Amino acid sequence: MAKAPDVSKLKRALMRSNTRLLLSAVLLFQFAACLLLALKTQPLDTQALLFAVAVPLTTYLFSTLITRLWPVDRAIIILTLLLCSIGIITLKAIAKSPTTPGTQAKYALLGLVAMGLGMGFIRLMRRPGKGLTLAMMVLCLLALMTPWVLGSWKDGARNWILLFGGRVSLQPSEFMKPVFLLVLASGMSNRPRFLRTLPTLAFAAACCGILLSQRDLGALLIYFLSTVAVFFVATSNGFLTLAGLGMGAGAGYLAYRALPYVQRRFAMWKDPWSDPENYGYQLVQALIAIGSGGLFGMGLGLGSPRDIPLYHSDFIFAALTEEFGLVFSVCLLILYVLIIMRGLIAAMNARTSFHSLAAFGVVAMLGLQTMLIVGGNTQLLPLTGVTLPLISSGGSSLVSTFFALGMLCGITSLNTEDEARDIEQIEIRQEAML
Amino acid sequence: MKELRRNMRLVGALIICLFTLLCAGYALTVYTQGAQWASTAYNTRGNASGSLRGEITDRNGVTLAATDEDGSRVYPEDSATRRALSQVVGDTRGMSGASVETFHSATLMNLSNSLTGRLSELISGARHVGNSMELTVDSRLQAYVSSIFPEGKKGAVCIVNYKTGEILCMVSKPDYDPAEVLAHPDTAVEDTAYLNRCLQGLYTPGSVFKIITAASALENDPGVVDQTFSCAGIWEFGSSKVNCAGNTAHGNLKLKKAFAKSCNVTFGKIAYQLGEDRLRATAERFGFNENFKFGDFLIYNSKFPTQTTGDADLVWAGVGQSTVLVTPLHMAMISASIANEGVMMRPKLVREVTNSNGATVTRMETAAYRQVVSPQVAQTLASYMYEAVQSGTASKAAISGAIVCGKTGSAETSDDKSVKTNAWYTGFVYDDDHPYAIAVVIEEAGAGGSQAAPVAAKALKKALELAP
Repeated sequence: MAKAPDVSKLKRALMRSNTRLLLSAVLLFQFAACLLLALKTQPLDTQALLFAVAVPLTTYLFSTLITRLWPVDRAIIILTLLLCSIGIITLKAIAKSPTTPGTQAKYALLGLVAMGLGMGFIRLMRRPGKGLTLAMMVLCLLALMTPWVLGSWKDGARNWILLFGGRVSLQPSEFMKPVFLLVLASGMSNRPRFLRTLPTLAFAAACCGILLSQRDLGALLIYFLSTVAVFFVATSNGFLTLAGLGMGAGAGYLAYRALPYVQRRFAMWKDPWSDPENYGYQLVQALIAIGSGGLFGMGLGLGSPRDIPLYHSDFIFAALTEEFGLVFSVCLLILYVLIIMRGLIAAMNARTSFHSLAAFGVVAMLGLQTMLIVGGNTQLLPLTGVTLPLISSGGSSLVSTFFALGMLCGITSLNTEDEARDIEQIEIRQEAML
Repeated sequence: MKELRRNMRLVGALIICLFTLLCAGYALTVYTQGAQWASTAYNTRGNASGSLRGEITDRNGVTLAATDEDGSRVYPEDSATRRALSQVVGDTRGMSGASVETFHSATLMNLSNSLTGRLSELISGARHVGNSMELTVDSRLQAYVSSIFPEGKKGAVCIVNYKTGEILCMVSKPDYDPAEVLAHPDTAVEDTAYLNRCLQGLYTPGSVFKIITAASALENDPGVVDQTFSCAGIWEFGSSKVNCAGNTAHGNLKLKKAFAKSCNVTFGKIAYQLGEDRLRATAERFGFNENFKFGDFLIYNSKFPTQTTGDADLVWAGVGQSTVLVTPLHMAMISASIANEGVMMRPKLVREVTNSNGATVTRMETAAYRQVVSPQVAQTLASYMYEAVQSGTASKAAISGAIVCGKTGSAETSDDKSVKTNAWYTGFVYDDDHPYAIAVVIEEAGAGGSQAAPVAAKALKKALELAP
């Protein structure tokens, strides 16, 4: 690895001024929202008060310190922390017991560590060798298979494992997402011919098969679509990409014919009002919550989003819309788009195709997952039970998303360093010419 | 690398486009349909807002509910009027789920107020006052109908204007006193008093369903008018049978007379001739098995069996038994569509919503719901219903000086003969100035002709007097 060069003072100053306003606005939002929740009850809610201090402080410290260490894209860091804090605030406002937001906050801290690890990890790995890729493949497959042995059925899927006598529950399909992306990026880098991508594709197919056996259709869809996206970008093979999508659609149709529970989901998507008290209940309650929110919401801590089943995980978008309103929820989607755009820039600026594909994979996965669950909450797409990245409660998803975004940030830091090195080179050359 | 970047730009643009589409689709559906979602019956949200509810008035401007200075809700002084309107207006505790107070809670409190409105309230410190609603019901008619309803019986009466779809009267018995419920939260009310039977009561229609069976026969085979049926009081087919009330043999008769006399054997045979699919198609056109979403009130869905279990089931469905179920308001809408040349109007309960400054927020337009039968078939059915009042089972529905058309029903709700039948009547007055259709159901009262028809006659007579 090359020695990290000094980033020019000018560049650093520019970067800071760009994000200073954003950071102030985010800190103000976090502080105000937590304070509001603290003052809502009599006597004061100490947990919310703690959040009012800790959340902005953590955001400030993390985003400042990490940029001291590596020249990462601060905007992505701030937006990520904003989304995560919106999750904690929403959970604080709607959850019945203080444990849910408390646990989420603890996982968020763990997530920050994971983010740092992600950055460090990707910075060390300019191009993984065959051995490392193979090791990651085996790790990913083995981890995905664990629910077969240690798992238990929950909400119609067996994608959880319980460890230490049930005290810790993990979702391997969430944890393996960054590993899966790394394998894809490694297997597809350097413009491979189709034959050379076959092992990676076989690996992806095996992952999808395992997920299917566990009925984790949401994760299956995300793994599949991410593979297709990365494959197309890496090989420019439009024909095979379309063929893959077609095969996916065919498999989807077969699944629809074979699994009555998929048919039900589909029917409920087309008209949830036809069975509002049984199978359509979730979606009907979600739509009612969204409708009750109106343009500007019922107000933080008001309304009763707890009427929606799974309001803290799969349906948090609907719950959040009831609290904050339509305008806010559209802005929230724009925040995701901003992260995606920054991420795409990072992917395009990356110097190695491995980093480029890894960054792109992170972005594509984030975008697809957000679209699937938001569409599912709002009856625009059939419902697939995936989390809203960074916001839904649940440690596995949060930590893994933080790790993936950490990889993205790590790549941005490498890009900045590379650019700075280029500038240095040019300066040296110019000096030499003079 | 260049190619990689180009592809990424492409896929990235695609993802962002999809996001934009998602945002736009989401914002658009919520903006246009959100209020409708929130106002469905499945919304269990209470109303913990500090805003003052607006007034509810009837079609003549009589106040049915208002909020006084200190923010408490007041209902009419006369307890009989309060009771008569109990399930229509409802109470602020939300006990009566289909009532205006509950169903239109968000509108009455104007929760979807505009940003500028909220800001001006914030600055001026004025208390947020909700919208006022004017209903289509006539409180005088409502009180009268409630007073003539047989003492101690359960049931429902609804009257609609068949040209505009306006609901003039919706009485449901037993009723309750909203003022009492607010003042003493643990008041015991009669069982099921919170239910608005006009909207939430699913009843076996019995012979009033013969309107649909006759419509189906006339549509599918115009020659049925001249077909002669023979009735021996009982018709056995296969291992089952259908019989007329009291096993009365009607002899040889044509459709018109069979309708007037309400002959089960004839209608059983007609249903058998038609077959399940054709009868169901007609019933569904009339609104059975349809998910009604009218926006200004909630109504349960009437049902026609989606799959009959055999010939006996089909034959009994043809005379409105089996598992056929209908709400009284829907039955009134069916009569109304016959009177209105086959056009069912979209029923409405709310005339106008005005905000606290008196400006109109929404005005419910008069709209046709659907052409349910051809004008010719509607004409023929009207003449049959006229015959039923002139010389048939519905003779007690006649009003002197008015052209009354109707059909009675005596629906069996139990195999046990000791339980009396539900008495049904549905019909209308042919009068351009007073275009009223009615449905009456009185639970376990006996025959429709002797029990429900007289109530309908009195109610419509009063409606003719009160109008316009």
